[in-house]
Amino acid sequence: MPTLTIDEREVSVPAGASVLEAAEALGITVPHFCYHKALGAVGACRLCAVEIQAGPQHGLRMACLVEARDGMVVSTTAPAATGMRRAVIEYLMLNHPHDCPVCDEGGECQLQDMTVAGGHGVRRYRGKKRTFPNQELGPFVEQEMNRCIQCYRCVRTYRDYAGGHDFGVLGVRQRVAYGRFRPGRLESPYSGNLVDVCPTGVFTDKTVRFRARVWDMQCAPSVCPHCSLGCATWPWARYRELLRVSGREGPRTNGFFLCDRGRFGSGHANHPDRPRTPRLDGRELGWPEALEALRERLTKLTWAHGPGAVGLLTSGRASLESARALGLLGQALGGAPVVCEPHPRRDRAVRALVAELGQLGRDQEDVRQSDCLLLAGLDPEGEAPMLALAARQAVRRGARAAVWDPRPDRLPFPARRIARLPEALLEALARPDGRAPDGLEAAERESYAETRAALQAAERPVLLGGADLLGPRGVRLLLAAARALSRPGRACGLSLALPGPDSFGGALLCPDGPDADELLAGIEAGRVRALVCLEADPLSEHPDPARVAAALGRLELLVVLDHLPTASAARAHAVLPTTAAAEMDGAFVNHAGRLQGFARVYSAGLPIRVTGQGAHPPREFRPDTPGELPQPGWAVLAALAGEPVELGELRAELARSEPRLAGLAGLVAGGPGVQLALEPSARERPDTPAEPGVAEGELALLSVEALFGSEPLSARAAPVAGVASEDALALCPADAARLGLGEGEPARLRSALGEAVLPVRLAPGLAPGFALVQRRFGGPLEGFAPGGGPIACRIEKGGAR
Amino acid sequence: MSHPQVLFARRRPGQTVSLETYLQEGGYQALGGAVGKQAPAALRKLVLDSGLRGRGGAGFPTGQKWSFFPADAPGPKYLVCNCDEMEPGTYKDRELLVADPHALVEGMALAAYALGVTHGYVFVRYDYEDVFRALERAVAEAHGAGFLGERILGTDFGFELHVHGSAGRYILGEETSLLNGLEGVRPNPRLRPPFPAQRGLFGRPTTVQNVETLCNVPHIALHGAEWFKGLALTPGEAGTKLFGLSGHLNRTECFELPMGVPLREVVEVHGGGVRQGRRFKACLPGGASTPYLTAAHLDVPMDFGNLDRAGSRLGTAGVTVFDERTCMVAATLNLLTFFARESCGWCTPCRDGLPYVCYLLERFERGQAGREELALLKAQPAFINQSFCALAQGAMGPLEGLLRHFEQELLDHVTRGGCPFGGA
Repeated sequence: MPTLTIDEREVSVPAGASVLEAAEALGITVPHFCYHKALGAVGACRLCAVEIQAGPQHGLRMACLVEARDGMVVSTTAPAATGMRRAVIEYLMLNHPHDCPVCDEGGECQLQDMTVAGGHGVRRYRGKKRTFPNQELGPFVEQEMNRCIQCYRCVRTYRDYAGGHDFGVLGVRQRVAYGRFRPGRLESPYSGNLVDVCPTGVFTDKTVRFRARVWDMQCAPSVCPHCSLGCATWPWARYRELLRVSGREGPRTNGFFLCDRGRFGSGHANHPDRPRTPRLDGRELGWPEALEALRERLTKLTWAHGPGAVGLLTSGRASLESARALGLLGQALGGAPVVCEPHPRRDRAVRALVAELGQLGRDQEDVRQSDCLLLAGLDPEGEAPMLALAARQAVRRGARAAVWDPRPDRLPFPARRIARLPEALLEALARPDGRAPDGLEAAERESYAETRAALQAAERPVLLGGADLLGPRGVRLLLAAARALSRPGRACGLSLALPGPDSFGGALLCPDGPDADELLAGIEAGRVRALVCLEADPLSEHPDPARVAAALGRLELLVVLDHLPTASAARAHAVLPTTAAAEMDGAFVNHAGRLQGFARVYSAGLPIRVTGQGAHPPREFRPDTPGELPQPGWAVLAALAGEPVELGELRAELARSEPRLAGLAGLVAGGPGVQLALEPSARERPDTPAEPGVAEGELALLSVEALFGSEPLSARAAPVAGVASEDALALCPADAARLGLGEGEPARLRSALGEAVLPVRLAPGLAPGFALVQRRFGGPLEGFAPGGGPIACRIEKGGAR
Repeated sequence: MSHPQVLFARRRPGQTVSLETYLQEGGYQALGGAVGKQAPAALRKLVLDSGLRGRGGAGFPTGQKWSFFPADAPGPKYLVCNCDEMEPGTYKDRELLVADPHALVEGMALAAYALGVTHGYVFVRYDYEDVFRALERAVAEAHGAGFLGERILGTDFGFELHVHGSAGRYILGEETSLLNGLEGVRPNPRLRPPFPAQRGLFGRPTTVQNVETLCNVPHIALHGAEWFKGLALTPGEAGTKLFGLSGHLNRTECFELPMGVPLREVVEVHGGGVRQGRRFKACLPGGASTPYLTAAHLDVPMDFGNLDRAGSRLGTAGVTVFDERTCMVAATLNLLTFFARESCGWCTPCRDGLPYVCYLLERFERGQAGREELALLKAQPAFINQSFCALAQGAMGPLEGLLRHFEQELLDHVTRGGCPFGGA
């Protein structure tokens, strides 16, 4: 711990810290552009000049490049240092356009701040300014190259940190520019980070171009609702419209960055068809009437047919408090059980994880710090995009990575791959002798043995998986493998991507309970006569939509609480509008068991853009707020149960009844959150039966999530809807040739998930014997709910689509 | 005045020494005498004792650089010859290689032996097609004769040498940029530490040396450290030096002269005096990035120490002479335009500061500058010297020379409202 003096104040910092970081620890910001905590110091901008007055070095130095040493005396205010900084700002401003009034970065521009702070107020350069042409980079990122100050942050983020290939440095000398070789959509799933890292207005969020100044927007610390990782975000809203999302520093989760789904997928909150008024039997009602009527009907059904007459279904989208309120409604109805996910296999997989995880859960920071990773049945791009970025950072530091997955490898880092379903391999890994499973080829056997040895030798090994492909049996095998690879004093961790932002919390609250298939059986048998769906859409998420549709048709009462215009909501007798995450306070438990709070950014209401019919400034004055009726799910459910509560009371009750959630009491949105103290359940672990295999001559169909278009929230966000990949059927070239199918030719796909005619995509990375589709809302694959694992399918040359 | 010729001993006008001639004239004797017979460490010690300093511009003692090199560490290590000779006024390496390419091949093989290196690269300037061809041929000849490749001269020592043609930017002369260029990535300079000796080409220990430096090694190996020191005219210096003459001289050729030869002899004897009988006004003693010397410096011995003390640098010993009719503001602007153009664009002082200096100098030339611009110009070197690599610091050489010796000329531009020499 070197101790040094900066501006006459002493500070001790960890060995290896730079003078810039030491100053930061004292609260002194040494102006800088190219330095970024996640990207490191490269010494390009030369702005962070300080004077070192005593110690191993002397004179003017760049604070980001000098390691803090014992006895150093540093001045950030010496005339040489301030003079240097003023000169650098002047150099950078030589060519910078004075278009701040129309620049979206204005008000949150580091260059603006540094120019003012550096004291460069008068322009002395009278020459011509250098100009660049701009590139069209797709629907997310706007480029205005003339504003560039060449800090190289963008390219260090896009290429070095995120592993993108289609963006780089162009040109030399004063004509250095950043962009693509040719204009076109940025291909990286992490392209939006350019907006966050650019210290000025070169890269801005195209989806909100010219929509608002930063000081006019509302924002609050939040947690990303688009997957289970729980990345830290800042949603920004104005005039009751959620405009954009930017990355927040989440040391245990995302670090600084976000994936494009999380960043650009927030428009679901502004969806024009979103339910905004309670509706019962086709009539719009006020809250009191709607709740009164529904309470009466639910109570009557319970009296008449017992507590089992009402089914309760939630999903990983609902907040922890809402899930609890659903459980309390069940208790109020005499003990109706809660089903955690509309997809039964997903439900059982999550419950298996939560029951057995114990202390083995690993978050993104653990993955970044790991020295050996195994990705078994995980497709990060679809299930948890930021997990791939975390793994990449580990690999950049020298970690070994292996992938066991039949799907094509789309990872932003090199890994040893076995193109098979991971189940048999995991089973082998979990056995004490670890002998390779039968049926592997020689190279695969060697690869397996090498990976196993590396995992055993590693100091911080982590197994990564995806609940969708693994299913309950795979999850148990992954857990068993992690336990088998653990030794006293050195655990092998586990990081599993789950279906939704609070899948973990939901399963924690109801570890047992029935799954959706048992619920459907109850409806079909006439035992269950009413169903309350909390932010769950069984029609789109259950693997057998026809069965669900038939079952829903038998119900006497279908109540849907949601903020999305889902297929199930369209069929409901009653729709109760709830708030989106950015419109409420709440908490999610992420995939690794970290409880994180999020705060209300703005109050739900019809955007003024809609009510004002485009007039600017809006000229409609009225005392009420149109469209303000949506309420947090927990509030609606508590009212439905006849016991309205405040959020604080609900959280206190939850903390009391579930000791593992005691952290809720002191939970602060924007804080680090609380890692739950989990013990593996003492219950006997059921031996999950193997899933039915795929017969000879049939292909195994995998329906998975895509980066865009699959996840129910972002699929309903306008900017993302425009970039969702085309519906296609991916086959390995050998299988396609056997079936007589070529690239782009129509094929008819028949499976238990449904039937569709799709163009064929040849995917050389796909293991033979598999067919791969990505579910997309609004297309022929809408019913192909992901989460089912491999199922049998038949493919033949298709007719007209 | 004739001086002993070492590096140019085999040079014939218009010819390139073939392997046959090279062998006839004592070539590869140094390699034969060292490989398998002399311990690599002894060879390194010899180079250290010889006082050989790098000829690429910085003048870092070669033996000292080699002493930092992990010669005995296992795994691949690299020797790279920097032949990206792009400093304006410098062409000595081209003269040397077109005349005698085997000298470099032998020098590199010897250095590789001393450093425990098995792979070497010669990084050749884009425009040097003649050098590239001469080297490729020499490497093939040496390979065929067993001076390169596996089991050189029947010993366990092997060394493969590759000739690589640059894509052509001045920044590639900076050794870490050169390594990036060799790796095929954007040639921005690298952060140091780690130094190339720890992590260089492809992340492995690497030594980068100038052509002339490496060509001296066989001679040192053959004749010893004391002989090499004795070649210099001034105490504390060692060897001969190739001087590339250019500018307003009657003879602008490349000469091999002893280290410490007075500037006056270079200009008046070897350069044949300033052209058209004009007076000597100033010169760049060691390429475009060294501060000017004036007529007051004509008796300064041209070596590392004496030029440092005279406020300039020996650099590459590319001597560019300016006669009395030269506008030093215009000359400096010309040089700075080159540096601004060749900036890689990595750091602010170089990328944006150098064009700003050009802008200020242009204002002087056009008579648009006042005393405020002079103050601004004077302030620039302190900022630009904080650049990431030596490119912009080198660019400050002529500017600092201008401000030190020719401030009156700048003031004349201000008072006359334009260039007194009729420029611009």
